[in-house]
Amino acid sequence: MAEDLLEAENVCVGYGRGDIVHGVDVSVSAGRIATIIGPNGAGKSTMIKTIAGVLTRREGSIRIDGREIGGKPASEIARCGVAYVPQEANVFRQLTVTENLQMGSWIEPKEFDARYEKVCALFPILKERAKVRAGNLSGGQRQMVAFGMALMVEPKVLLLDEPSAGLSPAMVEQMFDIIKQVNKTGIAVLMVEQNAMQALKISDHGYVMAAGQVAMSAPASELLDSSEVSELYLGTRQ
Amino acid sequence: MSGQLIINGIVNASLIAPPAIAFSLLFGILRFPNFAIGAYVTVGAFIAYALNVGAGMPMWIAGLGAMAGTAVVVWLSDVLVFKPMRGHTPVTLLVVSIALALIIEHIIRLFYGADVRGFDLPLERPIKFAGLRITGEQIDIIVMTIVIGIAIHLLLQYTRIGKAMRATADNETLAEVRGINTSYVIAFTWFICGALFGLTGVFAGLDLVIEPLVGWYLTIPIFAAAILGGIGSPYGAMLGALLVGLAEELTVLVLPSSYKIGVGFVIIAVLLLIRPHGLLGQPEIKK
Repeated sequence: MAEDLLEAENVCVGYGRGDIVHGVDVSVSAGRIATIIGPNGAGKSTMIKTIAGVLTRREGSIRIDGREIGGKPASEIARCGVAYVPQEANVFRQLTVTENLQMGSWIEPKEFDARYEKVCALFPILKERAKVRAGNLSGGQRQMVAFGMALMVEPKVLLLDEPSAGLSPAMVEQMFDIIKQVNKTGIAVLMVEQNAMQALKISDHGYVMAAGQVAMSAPASELLDSSEVSELYLGTRQ
Repeated sequence: MSGQLIINGIVNASLIAPPAIAFSLLFGILRFPNFAIGAYVTVGAFIAYALNVGAGMPMWIAGLGAMAGTAVVVWLSDVLVFKPMRGHTPVTLLVVSIALALIIEHIIRLFYGADVRGFDLPLERPIKFAGLRITGEQIDIIVMTIVIGIAIHLLLQYTRIGKAMRATADNETLAEVRGINTSYVIAFTWFICGALFGLTGVFAGLDLVIEPLVGWYLTIPIFAAAILGGIGSPYGAMLGALLVGLAEELTVLVLPSSYKIGVGFVIIAVLLLIRPHGLLGQPEIKK
């Protein structure tokens, strides 16, 4: 069996006393997209924050390329090739767009120029607004800065928390196109999405989380076809 | 007459500017008003005094020693006091910082008493020009503050650590996620600010007197300068220092000089009413 690039096993995590996530297994291999869907409060964002190291797991194992990262600080996990894009507060508001992108290549500053051209080819607006402070951009443009900054990492694993939140329908489509495009270069993508239908359409695998546990794990196409999933989470009836 | 007041105001501003910048940088990262800054300044004044008068070193070495020594003391105040309390509310931390200020002040009293002291410097005549007077030390203070202002600007704008400082102040979690070792950046910020407080202690010893409350008297003007400029904005702090420094001196034209100390309070009160984010600060935008 080929080793998955990102493997999380039996992860338990919570704020304060109680656990929010109880023993969750998630894995993604290189060049694949996995999406976690589920109702609010299911622990989806908590799970993705834990993999990024923003929260520390209480139990369980998280591996990148077979290397244990569970319990390490976020800055070290970033150095293992993980780029996490939070749902909110995902740009440096006081920094210019270019400075935000520089923060993306913080670990490898010499790579900045080459990566900058690549990222600006995907999001030309980042070049046009290079000297504007990120806090003064529109919500959609800020989302592009956030995503562009993560791509500047040239990560092995991309963790996205609600990448389509706050975007217009046309931009949601564009964002998912770009995620697919980026993924084709061999990056493993794990995302959490409210926009479950569209997210699953570009995904290889899907997890349904409920009450802090994985209620269902199946290929994305199966989840899209499942009447139970569509009734409960996709808002469609068959 | 008013020409002399403007000169005094500029000297005053040069005294306030470095600690106002430091206060602003610290606030940007820690999100609470650190009332111990006055005590840090006093520490700087006394280290310089100990090196200059006690050990007989030349003033410039004593000054550098005060910067280094205060940087260590200020950093230790984080390691021993503020770091273990991180995550508490700003009000709790504010009260803790007042307690720390009192403790530091009394440790100094333990060794030096409450006497008023001065550095061991050759007496120099003030330079007179068109009826205006300025001492050589005051010129040194102004020049060094300008150099410090430019140096801080270059540090924040063009160096890697400076960008990391701004990123950490802006969004600590995101900075950490992008691979920045934020605890290192925070420790570095404390050091830099400590050096600035130490230098202010030296300036205060040169221009005012050395006593256990010297820094405490500067606390309110420093706060006023930082708030006026926009808290968390180092450039605002420089501008704020200039305005507060001039305002304090120029009120002498209309009010007895004993009211000077109240000017800082008035500036803070008025500003919080009409423009709480200061002149150069960014208002918090709530979605």
